[in-house]
Amino acid sequence: MKREHRSLIVWPSLIAAGLLAAACTDQPNVSMAPKHPDFWLTPPPAQCPTGKWTGGGRIDPPRNPDTPDEAVHPEYFAVVLPSMTGKFTFGFNVFLGQDADGNCIVNKGEIEVNGHAQKIAWHVAIHNGVDAYDGRPVHATVFSDAHPGGYCLVVGIPDDYMTARENGKGSTEPYELAQFEVCDNDRGQPQKGKPGPDAMRWRSEHHGDTHLIYLTGGNIVEHGS
Amino acid sequence: MNAKSMHWVTRLAALGLVVGLTAGFAVAGVAQSVGGQAYSTFVNTPLGYSGQSPLAVLPAVSGTDGAMADAEGSALNVAGALSSDFLNSITSGEIGTAETGAQSTASAASVNILNGLITADEVVANVMSSASQGGAFSSADGSTFTNLAIAGVGSLSGDSPIAPNTNISLPGVGYVVLNEQIPSGDGVSSTGLTVNMIHVYMQSLIGGGCTPLGCVPGVPTTAGEIIVGSATSSVAM
Repeated sequence: MKREHRSLIVWPSLIAAGLLAAACTDQPNVSMAPKHPDFWLTPPPAQCPTGKWTGGGRIDPPRNPDTPDEAVHPEYFAVVLPSMTGKFTFGFNVFLGQDADGNCIVNKGEIEVNGHAQKIAWHVAIHNGVDAYDGRPVHATVFSDAHPGGYCLVVGIPDDYMTARENGKGSTEPYELAQFEVCDNDRGQPQKGKPGPDAMRWRSEHHGDTHLIYLTGGNIVEHGS
Repeated sequence: MNAKSMHWVTRLAALGLVVGLTAGFAVAGVAQSVGGQAYSTFVNTPLGYSGQSPLAVLPAVSGTDGAMADAEGSALNVAGALSSDFLNSITSGEIGTAETGAQSTASAASVNILNGLITADEVVANVMSSASQGGAFSSADGSTFTNLAIAGVGSLSGDSPIAPNTNISLPGVGYVVLNEQIPSGDGVSSTGLTVNMIHVYMQSLIGGGCTPLGCVPGVPTTAGEIIVGSATSSVAM
């Protein structure tokens, strides 16, 4: 490992020294090597077609509401649902893309949400651009929120939403429409606060809406293209 | 700009390239990695055995990518050792240009250990690890017990955290560590954390006994273990 590491330093040095020698000859035009990216980049603005989002953790609605961010795009949640409360744990991985008409869709994704008071485990699986449970595309959107530098992702925007499978003692039907929202409000940094500043929201057609809630633990990461 | 000054600019740029390439490759040459695992229960006792269940293990992640794994179980019963239901495990991780992280959560409800010696309405283990410009960091925020009770010791009502590595003796059985936390990594370029919310160490005495010359105590030896709510996350850059 050490040896491999060392050789990774030595070879670029030799190559670069060669380039320097070439530059010192009397050639009027020297083509510069392409820019080498920095290891840790300041995150560029989040956007849909190339977006990748991953995360997980816990929320405890109704405690710790992220009211400022929930107010940013209420049109995606216009249908009023009863509130869900209690512990919710979750994990997800979503890769975004676009369809032939330029609409933002989920190319690939898995979302798992556990409602502990409800005793329901919801699952969403999206493969090759379609929901594994209904065969339809899942539309999404990304927007900047009320936190400076923060971005939110909504998966399952109206009117199609997405279909989630229900498991657990409390499940009332095998499948139902659902929506998922997460906000990365500390992009490029780990969530160190408790609660927040990252947030999550889960809405299920038959069981209700957690509303957007700061994480009690965990992390949301928009990790770019 | 004349040809001579152009050459100087070129040479300075190339010198910058030497430094840039060397530093860039030196850092980027070390592969980033993320790891995660979660399970709700594990029983290895003379009363019975049940492996890590339901077990979620983070698939390999490379490039600028992410992954998630989850597992569910409706109920688990190892007679006399452990019963529990609504078992869920989730782990996810990602390698990003600005932040690399992993997060895992495991939970179990209606927990009953050793015929009511330890009970809890619910146990949640929640960990996260992250590395970015600011360093490497892990946390077990969100790990709690709901209505935990230990016979002969006491109980907690509601949803409560407990101080890490709280060790409680269980006479005749061994001891239990609540919110057992096992950190890893150097906190600069790597970090990791395992949290076992309930870890029962069953012990038996080996040797010892009395003779007319006196008594020699036995040596406590681990004879089994029960874990409820285990979550692990790790990152390295």
